[in-house]
Amino acid sequence: MAALLHAPYCADQATQRTVTVLENVRLARDTYRVRFGFPELARRITPGQFLMLRLAGGADPLLGRPLALYDAVHDPLAAQESPPPSTAQTSMSSQSPTAFQSPVASQSPVEGQAQTSFPSSASSSPAPNAVDVVYLVKGRMTSRLMHYLPGQTLDVWGPLGNGFPPQETDHLVMVAGGIGQTPFLALAAEHLGLRRYGEPARQVPRVKRVTFCYGARSAGYLAAVEDFERLGVEVKIATDDGSRGRRGFVTELLRETLAEAGTVGSRPRVVCCGPEAMMERAAAIAAEFAAPCQVSLETPMACGIGICFTCVAKVRDDQGGWDYKRTCVEGPIFDAERIEW
Amino acid sequence: MSITAPPCNLSVQLGRLKLANPILVASGTFGYAREMESLVQLRKLGGILPKTVTRFPRAGNAPWRTVETAAGLLNSIGLDNDGVDEFIRGHMPYLATLETPVIVSVAGKTADEFVELARLLDPVPGVAGLELNVSCPNVSGGIDFGADPAACERVVASVRQVTQLPVLAKLTPNVTRIADVARGAEAGGADAICLINTVLGMAVDWRRRRPLLGNVVGGLSGPAIKPIALRCVHQVAAAVKTPLVGIGGISNLDDVMEFLVTGASAIQVGTANYFDPSLSERLVDALPGALAEAGVASVVDLVGTLRRNG
Ligand SMILES: Cc1cc2nc3c(=O)[nH]c(=O)nc-3n(C[C@H](O)[C@H](O)[C@H](O)COP(=O)(O)OP(=O)(O)OC[C@H]3O[C@@H](n4cnc5c(N)ncnc54)[C@H](O)[C@@H]3O)c2cc1C
Ligand SMILES: Cc1cc2nc3c(=O)[nH]c(=O)nc-3n(C[C@H](O)[C@H](O)[C@H](O)COP(=O)(O)O)c2cc1C
Ligand code: FES
Repeated sequence: MAALLHAPYCADQATQRTVTVLENVRLARDTYRVRFGFPELARRITPGQFLMLRLAGGADPLLGRPLALYDAVHDPLAAQESPPPSTAQTSMSSQSPTAFQSPVASQSPVEGQAQTSFPSSASSSPAPNAVDVVYLVKGRMTSRLMHYLPGQTLDVWGPLGNGFPPQETDHLVMVAGGIGQTPFLALAAEHLGLRRYGEPARQVPRVKRVTFCYGARSAGYLAAVEDFERLGVEVKIATDDGSRGRRGFVTELLRETLAEAGTVGSRPRVVCCGPEAMMERAAAIAAEFAAPCQVSLETPMACGIGICFTCVAKVRDDQGGWDYKRTCVEGPIFDAERIEW
Repeated sequence: MSITAPPCNLSVQLGRLKLANPILVASGTFGYAREMESLVQLRKLGGILPKTVTRFPRAGNAPWRTVETAAGLLNSIGLDNDGVDEFIRGHMPYLATLETPVIVSVAGKTADEFVELARLLDPVPGVAGLELNVSCPNVSGGIDFGADPAACERVVASVRQVTQLPVLAKLTPNVTRIADVARGAEAGGADAICLINTVLGMAVDWRRRRPLLGNVVGGLSGPAIKPIALRCVHQVAAAVKTPLVGIGGISNLDDVMEFLVTGASAIQVGTANYFDPSLSERLVDALPGALAEAGVASVVDLVGTLRRNG
């Protein structure tokens, strides 16, 4: 049976499970990292892909929320294999007890000791069995998630979306505005040859240099800069108020980086995630320097799996027209030149 | 080897259409099924309804297309689809490989368009039935057939003349007397009547003083509308003999059982596919247990067994 839809247009590796929170730690102002056990997801997901996360056992909020992969890790607290799919766990009755199950530990979310461990070689590490997601506290779901304790449960399905394709370049330039930084730690680790992702593990060309242009409102919102520095990523920071790094737009850091790359004769590629206006600006700057640019769109989503047609963005076709494309299955990563901003 | 009778019989008959079990998935909430392949064992479902197809391609409405509300979802997708020719070419070959009956949902602007859609789909391998979406609130003109009993009868009868396929009529709750419209569908020869499509609603952002949906108004779905859907099934069950398919807010097994006892022979899972993608399959697995609890050996024995108060 020939594939009738292009495989990337379907969530063809996704599974759904009720998972247990292992950690939920504060990284920066209004910014947290939650870790949950989910071996199949941890093994399969690749940088730039996302998952849908829903607070288990209630109708408020009703829908899941899309969250990007921050990292897939091995955590001894996570079961080697997942418990059976949510089938067995989620009570089928509306009179189900609340989702709370015996907590592993009862401490509040704590600040600090966020450690993403990168083994020095890509091969020696045990298979990942847990997933880290970094989130900004914004509205109905995240303002509750920030209070979750180890042992509480979430409904998660993924991996979803196309993710970043392997980047063929000698200089990878990652541009993030605010919480848009989340897809880039894994992408950098992979392209520096420190980690592999996917099942089977995908091959990516080694990149000599990775620059991370990271913009935030103020110093307090900058999250996990050390995670990037530890990998050997060159981090350039801009804040709106100048409280750390350059004062002003992160896109100016991109312009400088590309200008400098031009003088040393490298051929950079740009990847970008953040507010739409910032991505549009970054795409324009990349185009000025003739650098290929991919953006990760943050279109609102209801299902994340291609069945509701909520998440559409105007994407240009080869004939010069455009059509609404579903960001969750045909994206969220698009070539910037295809986007009708 | 001894042949033992199955412990319970899940099969249901909707006019000409026989289904292995009463758990279907609603049009517009399951894509074209292929998207769900990794999350749901499609062969377990009683039936699959792909997203409504129209005669010609429609881009759909501008974003925002959905807004989450209290225990519900408001949408104005606007029947975004590539048209029936592309549907037959691009989606039916895959859908035809599924063991599960595929009931194609169609929407026309006129009765002639419904008839043409039925003619085009009738000979296509894998089409097990047609659901006439006479109720989509997001297309101007789309609601008229579902609001007027005589118009509803005409469109069902016209389609009935050009195909031997089972024909289901899907009605809107946005009418004063849904039982009257259902009588029209029955008179037109519908094999089953599906209740309900979404409830017209609206959401606003008072700070920006703007409607939230690109299309201003849209259709409400999800747990918030289940009481409305149950009321519609109850009223229509009292008015017609045609089998009913209950739709609206179904999110767990209790919801399924409520629709069955109220008078629906089958149900469709809609919005719950978005927030609990594997639910439909789990409902099929869990249904026998609930039938046992109800003390019946078959779904049919449970349908419409609601008792009067007092
Ligand atoms: C592919 C992808 C990856 C993402 N990755 C991350 C990540 O790694 N970390 C992270 O923190 N966030 C990420 N996001 C964004 C994230 O999904 C949400 O912003 C966040 O979870 C908000 O949920 P909430 O319930 O807390 O807020 P909500 O209560 O949902 O409100 C959030 C904001 O969205 C607006 N909004 C609400 N409904 C709509 C609508 N229908 N259309 C448009 N806007 C609406 C509201 O005005 C509000 O400002 C990602 C989004 C996408 C699409
Ligand atoms: C985003 C969305 C799109 C829908 N698209 C269609 C459609 O194309 N055709 C149709 O007949 N019904 C459509 N519906 C209505 C559903 O099939 C169903 O009748 C309704 O949502 C009520 O059921 P629920 O509460 O379980 O979702 C749509 C519903 C939603 C939420
Ligand atoms: S979010 Fe439902 S189709 Fe993309």
